Amino acid sequence: MNEHHKTDNDLALELQQVEAAKSDPARFSVLYEKYYKVIFIFIFRRTGEEELAADITSNTFLKAMLALPKYEYKGVPFSAFLFRIALNEINMYFRKSKKERVVSLEQVSLGAMVDETGQNDSEENRKLVMALLSHLDAGSMQMIEMRFFEKRPFAEIGQILGITENHAKVKTYRLLDKLKALILKRRAGK
Amino acid sequence: MSKYKFRIDKPEPSDESINRHKDFSKVHASHQRMTKPLYKTPLYKNPKVFLVLLLILLLVYVIAEYTAGKMKKEDRKPKQDSAQTRPGIPGS
Repeated sequence: MNEHHKTDNDLALELQQVEAAKSDPARFSVLYEKYYKVIFIFIFRRTGEEELAADITSNTFLKAMLALPKYEYKGVPFSAFLFRIALNEINMYFRKSKKERVVSLEQVSLGAMVDETGQNDSEENRKLVMALLSHLDAGSMQMIEMRFFEKRPFAEIGQILGITENHAKVKTYRLLDKLKALILKRRAGK
Repeated sequence: MSKYKFRIDKPEPSDESINRHKDFSKVHASHQRMTKPLYKTPLYKNPKVFLVLLLILLLVYVIAEYTAGKMKKEDRKPKQDSAQTRPGIPGS
C-alpha cells in the first residue's frame, strides 16, 4: 500500500471532517493540518521559491474553504480537490507573472524516464530527453511531472486532473510514444 | 526557447521551515472577511464602522439641534411682528 492509498474508513472519516467544516469553517483546521505539508511541497516543486510557495499554499486553502459549500464527495480523497485548486493557482501565477515555470526533478527519476522511452540511460540521452521536455505544453508537462518525477499512481493523477485512471494511463503512454518518436527523429537528423 | 526552468536534485524545505509558514488563523480570518457581509458582523467587533456610525449620529444630532433652535427663533419672530402690526378689532 502506498502513501496515496486511502481505505474506505479513511475516506469516510475524511468526509465527516469535510461535512463538519462545511457547517463550521473553523473546523477546516483539521484538514489544513493534515494536508498543509503535501500541498506546500507540491507547490514548491513547481515554483522553487519558499515564500512564493507559502503564499500560493495560503491562497489554495482559502479558495478551498470558499469553495467548500459546493464540494461534492465523488469517492476520491479530499486531497485531489486541494491539488486541483493548487494547480489552478500555480498556473494563474505563471500566467500573470509571465515567468518561466519551474520543474523539479531528480537525476534518478530522469534516468528512469529515459529507460521508459526505450533508450539506454546515458548522459547524452538524459540531455536529449530534457531538451524535448522543455518544449512540451503545460498539460503534458503536468502528466510527466506527476507520473515520473513525483511517482504518483495513475489513479491519483486521474483524481487530481478530474479524469479516469485509464485516461491518465492512456495519456501518459501516448506522451511517451511521442517522446520516443521525437528521439528517433532527432537521431535520424544527426 | 525553453518554457521551463529545470531544478535538478535541489532539496525540499525542511519540516521546520514549512511549519513556519503554517497559520490557519490567518486563512480563517481572510475567509471570514470574505464571506461575512458587514451587516452580519456586530458593530462592537468593527471599531472603524462603529466610529463612523457614531460620527454620523453626532452630526445628525447637531444639525437637528441647530435647525430646531433656528425654527424656534423664527416661530417667535412672526408672533412679535403680528402683535405689533395686528389691526384693531373693529367695534372694540
